[in-house]
Amino acid sequence: MTQKKKKMTFMEGLKAQFSTKSLVLIPIAVGINLIGGTLCSTLKLPLFLDMIGTIVIACLSGPWVAALCGLLTNIFLALVANPVYLPYSVVSILCGLVTGYMVKAGLFKKVWGAILTWLACTLTNVASASTITILVYGGATGTTGSSVLTATLIAATKDIVTSVLSSSMIENLIDKGIAFFIAFIIVKKIPKRFLSQYAVDAEDEEDDD
Amino acid sequence: MGKVVLEVKDFSFRYRQTKQKAIKNISFQVEEGSFFCIIGANGSGKSTLCNALVGLIPHYFVGKMSGEVFVNGMKVEDSTIADLSAKIGLVFQNPFNQLSYTAGTVAEELAYGLGNRGVSHEEMVKKVEYVAKLMRIDHVIHKNPLELSGGQIQRVALGSTFIMEPRVLVLDECTTQLDPLGSEEIFDIVKSLNQKGITVIMVDHEMERVARCADKIMVLDGGEIVAIDIPERIFETPDIVKHRIGVPDYVKICQSLREKGYTKREIEIAEEPTIELVKEALKG
Amino acid sequence: MAKISNSFVPKDTIIEELNPMTKILAVFSLGLGTLIFPNSWLGLIIIIGLFFVAYLAKTLKDFTKIMFGFGIPITVMLMFIQGCYSPKNVTIIAEFGFLQVGLEGVLYAFKIISTLLVFLGTFYIMNKTTYTGKLVAALTNSGLPPKAGYLVLASLNVVPQMQRRMEVIQEAQGARGVEIGGGIIARIKAYIPLLGPVVMSALTDAQERGMTLETRGFGITGVKQTSYVEVTQSNLDRILKAILILFFIIVVILTVLMKLNII
Repeated sequence: MTQKKKKMTFMEGLKAQFSTKSLVLIPIAVGINLIGGTLCSTLKLPLFLDMIGTIVIACLSGPWVAALCGLLTNIFLALVANPVYLPYSVVSILCGLVTGYMVKAGLFKKVWGAILTWLACTLTNVASASTITILVYGGATGTTGSSVLTATLIAATKDIVTSVLSSSMIENLIDKGIAFFIAFIIVKKIPKRFLSQYAVDAEDEEDDD
Repeated sequence: MGKVVLEVKDFSFRYRQTKQKAIKNISFQVEEGSFFCIIGANGSGKSTLCNALVGLIPHYFVGKMSGEVFVNGMKVEDSTIADLSAKIGLVFQNPFNQLSYTAGTVAEELAYGLGNRGVSHEEMVKKVEYVAKLMRIDHVIHKNPLELSGGQIQRVALGSTFIMEPRVLVLDECTTQLDPLGSEEIFDIVKSLNQKGITVIMVDHEMERVARCADKIMVLDGGEIVAIDIPERIFETPDIVKHRIGVPDYVKICQSLREKGYTKREIEIAEEPTIELVKEALKG
Repeated sequence: MAKISNSFVPKDTIIEELNPMTKILAVFSLGLGTLIFPNSWLGLIIIIGLFFVAYLAKTLKDFTKIMFGFGIPITVMLMFIQGCYSPKNVTIIAEFGFLQVGLEGVLYAFKIISTLLVFLGTFYIMNKTTYTGKLVAALTNSGLPPKAGYLVLASLNVVPQMQRRMEVIQEAQGARGVEIGGGIIARIKAYIPLLGPVVMSALTDAQERGMTLETRGFGITGVKQTSYVEVTQSNLDRILKAILILFFIIVVILTVLMKLNII
């Protein structure tokens, strides 16, 4: 019995992650992702900040819920804004997973861990986003500012792969850094009583009476 | 004494990672068809109790529970929230948090719970029509619920709960966020449902209303029951205000008239008798 | 980003009447067909056809806008990237100073553009002519888990509501004289007090919304979910589905034959 409590199987853990409590958080996290992005354009910031919700939900409900949140953010954008966003759902899913598993490993509690998570997530983002841009769109989508930068870099380096990689690398490091910083502050501010309702491993019922 | 529809036995609950128990060892019964009111200050455990009655404790909120709750003989701990929804329904404060967010129209919203039960389309349409009329929202049935007023959304929420066909309705301050008009309309509907035999358990801050409608009132303080009685006896106890609850204005008027020696009559808790009492006092 | 909201407007057209599954099948059959076909002519024909469908769906104006809005910049970009710098370039068809335009790159670029436009166009028409509630009901009938359906619909409904709340906070902050302009650091600093309250209230709302779902039978398993929105299948749907499947099979056969140099 005690052994069973300590280690849940992968499937059990997955099932526990997708409780109703976590599922209702997903649309809200999608909302945070999107208004995060909208707010950037309102404040005229040259950033996206469109994964704050994913990071927050990764802290509350785990990697697979975060991945689903990423996927839905892209489905939402495809449905209401532009289908061009759809192939990039792979990127959002991977970023959600990487962030979620690193949070699960306890890395988000310390500053160096948060920095490590940031770097890992940025790297995942750049690698997967570039792969999608090259494979699906042949190098450019024509919808982001970085396309122009990509084109300039191509002219300078004459190498498609490296130029796609480097333009999104600079953009991403800054963007994800700020997103992680904001998410970090938000998670710190969430009341403990609220957080405790989401903890997946529900065995900490210390008897005090 | 009528049939007992709801029974709470030695129930306690403490939310995870909190030190204080929200509910401490309470026991009470509610009779079928009655109008049962729960009053108490903020943090007295009213909402926690409501959540326990409909099974959200222990099936949704995590914490440490002891004791038992029975709805219509069904033990809450051993059933699912979904099964319980056919016996007991909950409407709470914020109308916007009682929408499923899956519906583009009020009709779809009302039908959502039935859809989860797998009810056939014809039956669904019939029930939606009936409940919409009952809730006086049949004129907005094709509108988007998010475009309605708070009062209307709350009626949609009441309808969505009632369509699951519970015999007991738990109303946790369900009119607190509404304007007086919207609030009265909800209340009218609730009263008519009660007259149809639905048991109502209502948490409310409007003491005049509580005094007017309740068959029985339960006063909670610090997670414990301090009194369960008929309204007259609850409000005539001078000590009741110690538990940080208000009393109806009528009671205050009667009390001060008695104190100043204008009348010797019993304390009244409703409008009409109080007027009579004041008239008499003025004559005398 | 412009204001985001679910933008289905009923227009009473034949396309709208179709079963959502027929339209989804069209997205995949036409899109994948274009993708595997060896050259871009098929894509071009389909794109022209899509403009006609958009006309039938009374959405031609917006459709044209989105097709050209996406098509022109990506064509320019890809002609530059692939046309001039593709490693596959062997045959040079034009020269501008230091730039050399390669035939292979240009053809590849056209292939990508036509495939993308077919996917974009079919998806756009499907999306604009289908009530999301109906789409999800149809998908649920075809085996999509009801919880997945919930997530899509709830996201579509929750996000605009959160945006409105955000606007209210923004106005309130503005009225209180909170500085929103200024340097980039000042603007980043203004970000958190704007986003924070929305996030915090949304999280507590989530808990109550979960309560609502649970009491409406969200947790029921093993029951086939039904919907108030009726999804019907007409004869036209059956015919179109058959045509779409047939189309895809023919494309596959043609592609294989062309690759084997039989045609």
